[in-house]
Amino acid sequence: MSLIQIFIVIFIAYVIYRLSVKLRKRDMSIQLFLLWLVFWIIVAVVIVLPQTTQILADWLGVGRGVDVVIYISIVVLFYIVFRVYSRIEKIERDITYLVKDISLENVQKGEKQKMEQSEQ
Amino acid sequence: MDKVFIAIPAYNEEKTIAKVIEDLLQADYKNIIIIDDGSKDETVNIVKKYPVYLCQHQLNCGQGAALRTGTEFALKNKADVIVHFDADGQHQVKDINNFIIKIKEGYDIVIGSRFLGDSYNNIPFTKRYFIHKPAIIFNWFFTGLKMTDAHSGFRALSRKAAKQIRITLNRMAHSTEIPGEVIKNQLKFAEVPIDVIYNDYGQKFSDGFKIIADLLKHKILK
Repeated sequence: MSLIQIFIVIFIAYVIYRLSVKLRKRDMSIQLFLLWLVFWIIVAVVIVLPQTTQILADWLGVGRGVDVVIYISIVVLFYIVFRVYSRIEKIERDITYLVKDISLENVQKGEKQKMEQSEQ
Repeated sequence: MDKVFIAIPAYNEEKTIAKVIEDLLQADYKNIIIIDDGSKDETVNIVKKYPVYLCQHQLNCGQGAALRTGTEFALKNKADVIVHFDADGQHQVKDINNFIIKIKEGYDIVIGSRFLGDSYNNIPFTKRYFIHKPAIIFNWFFTGLKMTDAHSGFRALSRKAAKQIRITLNRMAHSTEIPGEVIKNQLKFAEVPIDVIYNDYGQKFSDGFKIIADLLKHKILK
């Protein structure tokens, strides 16, 4: 096993540990925990035994197993970026809406006008 | 008489806002609403000295958002005409009346055009051909509405138009949004010539790209 594989596996072990902490604190549902667990175990398997991806590569008609992993990663990352992007847009809109409502509830009028009104 | 509201979005305009307000008060415009868009300078304190409405955004949400807030406030206060005016002193108070006259003639939305005004020749050549002309074409492409100057930000809305038009884009792209709304809501639209004074605080060339980016984003994500 090369050094990089060891590092990544240690990192994955750490991530799984963090997930279990979250689960224990009930910050995370059991379903979500299992989903992430399966995901990281798959990543670990792919890292330790890269040959396994060859099965997928042959099935999909891509030359090398590593390429399949990279292609899938890129597609997934793009999708996630898009999701995050739309999310931020929505949050920005919501914040604007709140800021508007708060500001409209606290409209002030300058002093000179008040004086004029009291003179009238 | 028609109730006229002047809505002025202001973001860090301490250098110019006092003069803008004074000019408007002198011209006897009584309903002035300044929307402070989270300024970090003295803008708010300066505005507080004048008999105008002050509406404060806690966070900077952009000019489009500020205009929407101002428009909503005006509607709440039974405005018949709502004028969008600039805080940096580039618009002339003397031009406002032309907008109001047009609205009274029955137009729903009146947009000020620098390209019809006398001061057009004072605009730097580069700005004319690299920002304004492309902007006209761009707007026409996106909205199908031919107007000589859609990006002036100096406009007046009738009560009906203000209710129907929704400015959804927060930043500067609201100017392009409006013509689209005009078509969608079948509003009666007119242009009036305006004069503008250019100073250092106007939009930079790079802002043009930001506006285009905002619009594309909006089109894609809708």
